[in-house]
Amino acid sequence: MQLRYVFTELRTGLRRNLSMHLAVIVTLFVSLSLAGVGILLQREADIATDQLGTQLQIRVNLCTVDDPSASPNCAGGEVTDPQRERIESEIDASDEVDSFRFETKEEGFAKAKEDPTIPDVAFEGENPVLTLDKWPAAYWVTLKTPDEADGIISALSGLDGVSGIVDQRQTLSQIFGIMKVLKYGSWIGAGFLLFSALLQVGNTIRLAALARRREIGIMRLVGASTLYIALPFLLEALVTAIVGVGLAAGALAAFQYWGVENGLAEHISFLRWVGWKEYGESLVSLFPPGIVILGPALTLIPTLLLTRKYVKV
Amino acid sequence: MIRFEKVTKRYAGPGRPALDQVTLDIDKGEFVYLVGQSGSGKSTALRLVLRELRPTGGRVYVAGKEINRMAGWKVPRLRRQIGTVFQDFRLLPNKTVAENVAFAQQVIGKSQREISKVVPETLELVGLKDKADRMPDELSGGEQQRVAVARAYVNRPMILIADEPTGNLDPQTSVGIMNLLGDINSSGTTVVMATHDHGIVDQFTKRVIELVHGKVVRDEAAGSYGFQHLDSQPDEQEG
Repeated sequence: MQLRYVFTELRTGLRRNLSMHLAVIVTLFVSLSLAGVGILLQREADIATDQLGTQLQIRVNLCTVDDPSASPNCAGGEVTDPQRERIESEIDASDEVDSFRFETKEEGFAKAKEDPTIPDVAFEGENPVLTLDKWPAAYWVTLKTPDEADGIISALSGLDGVSGIVDQRQTLSQIFGIMKVLKYGSWIGAGFLLFSALLQVGNTIRLAALARRREIGIMRLVGASTLYIALPFLLEALVTAIVGVGLAAGALAAFQYWGVENGLAEHISFLRWVGWKEYGESLVSLFPPGIVILGPALTLIPTLLLTRKYVKV
Repeated sequence: MIRFEKVTKRYAGPGRPALDQVTLDIDKGEFVYLVGQSGSGKSTALRLVLRELRPTGGRVYVAGKEINRMAGWKVPRLRRQIGTVFQDFRLLPNKTVAENVAFAQQVIGKSQREISKVVPETLELVGLKDKADRMPDELSGGEQQRVAVARAYVNRPMILIADEPTGNLDPQTSVGIMNLLGDINSSGTTVVMATHDHGIVDQFTKRVIELVHGKVVRDEAAGSYGFQHLDSQPDEQEG
């Protein structure tokens, strides 16, 4: 095989169809970047679920001596043992509950003191805002399905001794909701753009085949193989794919460095964020396909199919 | 070398077939004119030999192989044994004379060393050695056809097919091309030439196969163009 000839044809083809190739590269670049961001967001959702999964609970705060909630359930002051047993039996009997544990006020207070999101000043001074007396004992209830908690919440909220129910899922579900929207948004956007890239690849090949119809005709007549005739087209597609993937990989690296590591991770520190390992996965993972797989597949497969049609021996 | 057995070729649509039960044999080293009006089936016959078309019925053999049942991947190998020359030359305008000839070797994967040896030899054979670096638009029609013949012959095919090679040339230039084809034939290459050119057929006497409405009406070992079928009407199909 005459490699010099193949590369000369490749250079000529790229130059002749430069504007179309640039259009394909730009579309591939944007669509693959979006697809990569979609993969990173999915990985982020996985990480956040792993990290915060145990916190997808509801916390049942029990009444304290001078309960700040002023709930009618706390009219009798601090929760009594019979009230606590009643609450516990109600939790135990619920179908929605997977497991639960009791946290004494001492345990809860000690944990609060270590919580970086609560400033130290809240525990200091002559009349600190947070004291052991004011800190409620609580039940931490893990649900079988995080979406189903209405039954247990309504069963507990009227019981004496229950100061309030903190639904941990509400805060996190907002984050997950945003991630879900961003993830699906980026995938839908990427899908449309990738479809557009597919059509552009088709048009590029059609134009290239038209521009080279005389050469192709002669090649067929003198006995060039289909592969040899198709090779310049395939290499053109490969070059556009490599450039598109390279630009998208660069854009994703920039997003990872400036957007995640030096952006989101600095502002939202309670979540663990995607790192360079996940960045690597967005490039080469098999499912969903990473951009290094997606880019060449999107250009080479239509090229193979169309060249079979246009350069058929 | 080429054998048609009751070959019929019918294109889509109504009308008579382009070739109708054609049977003919062309031996190795022969020079054969395929004559007939436009639409008589000459070009269809040539395209069947090149396996650009498949017959609707019958069998086509080239170099002993039945080619209408040949697998697609074997077709390029068949075509390497056949050189083709057209009325409109079909040169690549952005390549020099030498590059046009070398193209036929490059695309079948011949080495640069072989190309460097064979291309100048072939250009010398067609009398264009001193014009190797010219572009096609700097050449006369006859010279362009010589380049096309060189390209068809550079791989030393067993068969050379020429479809109206003198159709765009003046009589004097046509004689030059015929001498060239005669030289190629003398080297053992079978030449099949479809033509309308009475003068050429009558001047360079060879075997003549005449087609009318897709049927062989005459096959003479040393024939002339012949006038007995001038009353025949052109076919509706391409010729």
